[in-house]
Amino acid sequence: MKVHVDPDRCQGHTLCAMIAPDLFQLDDIDGHSTVIIDGDVPADLEAKAAEAVRSCPEQAISVIP
Amino acid sequence: MIDDAERKKNRYDFDRHTPEYRENFQEITTEMLGQCPVAWSETYGGHWVAAGHDEVFALARSAEYLSNDHDVRNERKGYKGITIPTPESEFQGGFLEMDPPEQRHYRQALNPYLSPAAVGRWTPVVDELVRACLNERIETGTIDFVDHLANVVPAVLTLAMLGVPLKNWSLYCEAVHASVYTRHDSPEIARVREDQMKMFQDMYGQMTEIKASPRPGMIDALVRAQINGKTPPDLELIGVLALVIGGGFDTTTALTAHSLEWLSENPAERARLSAERGTLLDSATEEFLRFYTPAPGDGRTISADCVIAGTEFKEGERLWLSWAMSNRDPSVFPNPNEIDLARSGNRHHSFGLGIHRCIGSNVARMVFKRMLTDVLDRMPDFVCDPAGAVHYETIGVIQGMQHLPATFTPGPQIGDGLDETIARLQVICDEQRLAEPVTVRKDSARITE
Repeated sequence: MKVHVDPDRCQGHTLCAMIAPDLFQLDDIDGHSTVIIDGDVPADLEAKAAEAVRSCPEQAISVIP
Repeated sequence: MIDDAERKKNRYDFDRHTPEYRENFQEITTEMLGQCPVAWSETYGGHWVAAGHDEVFALARSAEYLSNDHDVRNERKGYKGITIPTPESEFQGGFLEMDPPEQRHYRQALNPYLSPAAVGRWTPVVDELVRACLNERIETGTIDFVDHLANVVPAVLTLAMLGVPLKNWSLYCEAVHASVYTRHDSPEIARVREDQMKMFQDMYGQMTEIKASPRPGMIDALVRAQINGKTPPDLELIGVLALVIGGGFDTTTALTAHSLEWLSENPAERARLSAERGTLLDSATEEFLRFYTPAPGDGRTISADCVIAGTEFKEGERLWLSWAMSNRDPSVFPNPNEIDLARSGNRHHSFGLGIHRCIGSNVARMVFKRMLTDVLDRMPDFVCDPAGAVHYETIGVIQGMQHLPATFTPGPQIGDGLDETIARLQVICDEQRLAEPVTVRKDSARITE
């Protein structure tokens, strides 16, 4: 499973990094999110990635199986 | 083409400024969500009301068809901004009543003061303020959570971040809160307007001083900002400051008061939140934000004919986006009218959506969490007095509280009181230049004796 943040949709609500700080980092200046890891989401973080998808108010996060 | 009667066939007589709307909020919300997630209301000259979660989401993110512009001098299309009805004294409410590119330029100027990294630097200052506020009451066993805590901390912090002397907080605090909860036909309104005038005079004085001799803070960023290639006029900057102050004060107060009131009524949930704060504090904060939605919505003007979420809108029509009602949509939130401190998938709309997302959301969350956890630690058995609690009579602008008295088992003071703490923090702010943007200063505040 891969996780992706659409930079055109992200508005810096920060919920993803609150839920999964090991997957998402926030820009120092505007708080917009990017994915930290390259490649597949570690198995133990898959549930958190899914919760970040469900929690993003802008629906900016997606997972690719 | 379809005619107006067809376009506006979903109708609802919607008046969010009446006390009845507050009293019947849950019933009205359930009815609108079930029957007309987007409805036409004839109230206030006629406007659309969006209540459904999907509909509010689609509309709020359609910046190309929606305008926030408040064109007070009628230089563009005469749009009326985000308040419905239009206030008697028309005044542009900062960049929340602007469209891009100006709106974007203002946000770019302020983001480095309000990002998660920027706000995190202030946590030790907030902890000092909360400690001192609780010190003032801890030995008495009585507190008014609004007057003695939730009004004070956001106000002092906002001034610190702006670069205004901290000791001026009371001048700003009461003026802002009273202007929200005082009815326009109340005998109190003359005094409230006078207090507001004093606040604006101080704000203008600070701005003039900072223009002449720079000192760190958001005012400094604003007076030196190039907005669409121009230095903005003073009146426009006063509108921006009023937005930052209005946004920073009453909203976090409202969230904190309502949450403490609920925790007093649900002591088992309070004990659970306190014991499991490591896993529950974030989700509980989002849930209180969803349920109490301090800023219940925003107005917009349709800027071009469009069809969004199944409704046909015409250019110039007014629209109310109800964050509060969309936050109760059962299609997104199971048991929407219950508070679930561990709720997952909580994509609430309490900070708005799209390009106008509340720029102070990181401040609100941090300050709320620090106030809440310190109360849980130092006043764990607090009991709010329902007879003394005063909710705002209407929730059209802010779902707030004016008073929330409580009793608790007295405890010992820790460190100094509020005035001494504020004086000490002023020195720390000045010496460490805490109000610099995160691009200049990355380190957290250090609390020194």
